[in-house]
Amino acid sequence: MKRFFYKSQQTAVGAVLLTVFLLLVMPEGVRARLKSAIGGLFLPALSISTTGQAALESLGQLGVSDRDPFPTNQALGQGSGATSSITELQLENDRLAGENKRLRDAAEWEQRIPWETRLVRVVGRDPFNWWRRIKVNLGTNKEARLRLNQPIISVRGELVGRISEVGPLTSWVLLVGDPNCRFSALLKESRSQGGIVSPRQYSADPRVVELTYLPNDVEVRPGQAVVTSGMGGAFPKEIPVGQVVDSWVSKNGLYTEARVKLHANLNQLETVRVLVKY
Amino acid sequence: MIGAYLLVFLQSHWQGPRLWLGFQPDLTPALLVCAGLRLGAGQVSTAAMLTGLWLDSLSANPLGLSVLPLFIAGWAVFSFREFILRDELVAQFYLGIAAGAAVPLLQVWLLQLVGSNPLLGWQMGVWCLVNALLCGVAVPVFDRMAKLLDRWFSHPAHDPNRWPNENRQIVRGKN
Repeated sequence: MKRFFYKSQQTAVGAVLLTVFLLLVMPEGVRARLKSAIGGLFLPALSISTTGQAALESLGQLGVSDRDPFPTNQALGQGSGATSSITELQLENDRLAGENKRLRDAAEWEQRIPWETRLVRVVGRDPFNWWRRIKVNLGTNKEARLRLNQPIISVRGELVGRISEVGPLTSWVLLVGDPNCRFSALLKESRSQGGIVSPRQYSADPRVVELTYLPNDVEVRPGQAVVTSGMGGAFPKEIPVGQVVDSWVSKNGLYTEARVKLHANLNQLETVRVLVKY
Repeated sequence: MIGAYLLVFLQSHWQGPRLWLGFQPDLTPALLVCAGLRLGAGQVSTAAMLTGLWLDSLSANPLGLSVLPLFIAGWAVFSFREFILRDELVAQFYLGIAAGAAVPLLQVWLLQLVGSNPLLGWQMGVWCLVNALLCGVAVPVFDRMAKLLDRWFSHPAHDPNRWPNENRQIVRGKN
């Protein structure tokens, strides 16, 4: 018995193979719960990271508010000090103007959107490049409990994806363009219906998807707007999706396909909206 | 283990590299290569299991899928490390490149074997090559960091030929 455990290399290999085998044969429900539990180990790191970011932001604002905006020009040497204060004020002014514009845009779009929404922050992404998912900082713990398959749109009201997993504190969102996120969409102009699927070939640009199963007799032109059709119940109607880039007839000649560039920049999502009532 | 935890966390929650490069680099193969060069069998297998499980828990991969490719990378280095000039920068660089290219390919192959449909294409090959280069650069960096941490937090290696006080050393011979 001792001799067996002395063979540490065999034990190590056996342990790994056994673990992998058990994980693969495990029932799906148990595996999902185990996955969620292991993912929960990163919540402390996430809290520390979020708290640290908030502290840095508040420190930055503290420095600005404490500074006297009109320093007294006391001596000859104060000339350069005044110049640097003006430069700092200009930079701060530019930053505040940009933030003001973003908030105005968000407020303006909120009035235009016909659904009740809730803002959530993006706190992570799938580390692998062949999946397109983001993590948001809301789960089942707060008042607005998230549900599976709830639509997610950008701050400006463009389609981003849908909720695929809900945890107690965080949730995963499947982005448009992920192989598991397919839905019905239509060309806004001609009302011709098709299906949005992930691009056949991996593209470094996550904003490119394909609109397929369009009828051959429909004119598809670059620049045409694509919106959700509401069919299938995945997303409500008329959520802006993107614009047609180009089109071609399928290999078997039965339907037309088009490349669509999404409105939402999926690489630069910081805050998104969850459709609470639609 | 802390290094693996932090690396997996950064890969999921820090989007800087994705904005600069257009993709998220995966440096966990480099970590396993370092583990294979320095640690024992049990530690290599534990590192592979934990890193793989942590990665898959933050991803849409089936849980446990990443364990085997990472384990193969670490174990291959561990098995042949007596024949490798493991302190040489060039050797570490090439090992990192090999692991950085092989591990994602194994992961994709396993994904297709279990029936998942990941996004694939020729651009993925370009990403794989760049990732391999980054892993090649990362192995010497991780190795230096591991040596530094070892020096800070471990007892110094015992040198039986070194006396604490030169005056007390017995020198045999004439005069």
